[in-house]
Amino acid sequence: MSQPKIAVDLILKNLAESSEKSQERAKKASEVLLGPLETDLCPTPYDVVYEEDRVKLKYYKPETVKYKIPLLVVYALINRETMLDLQPGRSVVQSFLDRGLEVYMVDWGYPGRKDQYLTIDDHVNGYMDNMIDFIRKRHGLPKVHLMGICMGGVFCVIYSSLHPDKVQNLVTTVTPTNFDTDKGLLHIWMKSAAADRMSECYRNMPADLMNLGFLLLNPARLIIDKYVGFFENMDNRAFVENFIRMEKWIFDSPDVPGATFRQFITDCYKQNLLIKNRLEVGGKRVNLKNITMPLLNFYGKFDHLVPPEACELLTGEVGSKDKEDICLDTGHIGIYVSSKCQREFAPKIANWLATREADEGPDEGTKEGTKEGTEEKAASKKPARAPRSRGGKTDKAKSGKTGAKKAKPKKSAGSTRSRNTATDKK
Amino acid sequence: MASDSEKSSPDMSRFITDWMKSFSDTMESMAATQARMFAFPADAEGKKAAETGKAAGKTSGKTAGEAAGDDNGRGTRKSWAAMGNTWQKMFSALMAPENLEANFKGAAAVPEVAMRLAQQTADAMMTLQTRWMERAAAIGQRTKAYNFENLDKEVFKSLREIYETEFQKYLNVPQLGLNRFYQERFNRFLDKMTLFQTTLSEFLQMFYIPIEKSAMVMQEKLEQMADKGDLKDDPQAFYRLWIKVLEGHYMNLLKSPEYLQTLHKTIESLVNYNQAREDFLQDIVRHLPVPTLKEMDELYKEIYLMKKQIRSLSKKVEGNQTL
Repeated sequence: MSQPKIAVDLILKNLAESSEKSQERAKKASEVLLGPLETDLCPTPYDVVYEEDRVKLKYYKPETVKYKIPLLVVYALINRETMLDLQPGRSVVQSFLDRGLEVYMVDWGYPGRKDQYLTIDDHVNGYMDNMIDFIRKRHGLPKVHLMGICMGGVFCVIYSSLHPDKVQNLVTTVTPTNFDTDKGLLHIWMKSAAADRMSECYRNMPADLMNLGFLLLNPARLIIDKYVGFFENMDNRAFVENFIRMEKWIFDSPDVPGATFRQFITDCYKQNLLIKNRLEVGGKRVNLKNITMPLLNFYGKFDHLVPPEACELLTGEVGSKDKEDICLDTGHIGIYVSSKCQREFAPKIANWLATREADEGPDEGTKEGTKEGTEEKAASKKPARAPRSRGGKTDKAKSGKTGAKKAKPKKSAGSTRSRNTATDKK
Repeated sequence: MASDSEKSSPDMSRFITDWMKSFSDTMESMAATQARMFAFPADAEGKKAAETGKAAGKTSGKTAGEAAGDDNGRGTRKSWAAMGNTWQKMFSALMAPENLEANFKGAAAVPEVAMRLAQQTADAMMTLQTRWMERAAAIGQRTKAYNFENLDKEVFKSLREIYETEFQKYLNVPQLGLNRFYQERFNRFLDKMTLFQTTLSEFLQMFYIPIEKSAMVMQEKLEQMADKGDLKDDPQAFYRLWIKVLEGHYMNLLKSPEYLQTLHKTIESLVNYNQAREDFLQDIVRHLPVPTLKEMDELYKEIYLMKKQIRSLSKKVEGNQTL
């Protein structure tokens, strides 16, 4: 008797085993899904210290403050800032706090129909400027550290160009500044998007419509494979909890104010005005050469929303001498939530800021304080804090560089591109 | 030689007269029934009036309610009877021998119009059916993997074309009279809704193509594996292969100009539909004691501009104070 070409018996055996496993998994999954699940977002405690219209400013205080200047994190208008504090052990905010960095974070809230007329100018020169003034006053400082995420990064770049006197160091993460690329589908689609007609019709750009658009960027993975993965692991409580947290974050999307959406698509995606120094916000031209503060620019190698080509030109266009590109082997979201990037991303930013604070000198911020800052200090509302311990870098700062504004060492000048080895792909 | 219409006219006239008479009788009896129904006071005030009127009505032998019912009934019956008589007179005039011929010609034209309409609908259905048949015949043909040029969108294109050429014009007929603007907005809403439905179908059909194509590729791959005898024994491996092929197909589709064109057309039709729906709904909301969206948008704009001005002035004042 001849040997069969196809191992039918083996295939059937595997099918039977797989079926048994599925039954077992379904039994366990029902216990997991019907039992209590810990899926809350934002476990790190914070205070809301400033409110204006729908916008709130969250303040996260570390146990011991080790930096003299706080960091303001500006998230995009798409999705929510909760992604930076998704769960214990995967929280960018917690990583900063663990290193003694005070964190302020903008919560843009949920725009309603009344917010449809808000432009980029209102967000940058209005809300952001007011919040930064508030922080400066509260800490008696002339400048703050600024960190932007995606569209929030674009806002930070614009702000740093228009108000360079209020930004100590700038960190941009997955921030598109060059929109003239066909590497990401979003860039291809947006070039011909009828933004005017959409904002005219919807007033605010509906989040559900945008989310549908994001799902359509990769339907096989995001609509099918992702949920197949869920069914394969739904007997694993930790997996289910993480999955649900991510689902909560992804679909918790505010609408985008119509005027901002229209301006962003027209001026950035269609005309690419930002990188050409031709963008106008609030009647003022955004010149990237005005950005002279140190700049750290992060992006993801496998980011399908904001590809590296959209991010990497920024460092070449700004006026800063101290600038650095870091490309992580990850995607748009993985940069903040993947376990590998947790070890690479937030610690790198914290160390980078600490180095610059040390090089700038602890008194630089307060001695050249603005009127508000000086008055605030005089009123003893909250004195500026000096870094307490930062290892070798602190020692360097303490040894003879105090109070003097110092140029960055040559080794940091220019755009250096480091490649991270993290391999998480989102 | 007398025409057929003339021959049949006396019978027809009698028939119409009899029908009109029975119609008037029916109307009259309906009016009487309705008058009796309305005679009962429906609310407390009516009951009270009925009770107080009982004493007064004793002399006439009727309650106030009954009296009111009589009045109502008389009025309604009279108006129904008048309407019936008008109809009867009008039909009698129409059935007069001198008007009969023109009448019958007019009547003959009605089926002709109906026939034309029916013919158009039937033609449209036939065209659609033919294209469906062509499509069904094409199903058996091989589809080229990873190729999204010249996509088969004929069916949905046909649907839209048929609608645009044969039916849309009826919704675009200029409206007359007091309600013309309302009617036009409603017609526009129907028109845009239909166009959106057909465009969305076209988009969804396009989105289904990668699934169809990846199934074909999988079939080929399985055949090749079977021929070589290296068919995977792990069912998961087949899924992983399929999802990879599907992803590849989607990536090709999503970058294609055809997809972009269809996507933008779908968004455009969605926007048009939403606007038409909003315009139509505004007409309804106007009659309710609530502000319309347009009014609210104007108000929001005023508030937005005022707030902006106040903030700017506040900053100036604060700046002056700190100087």
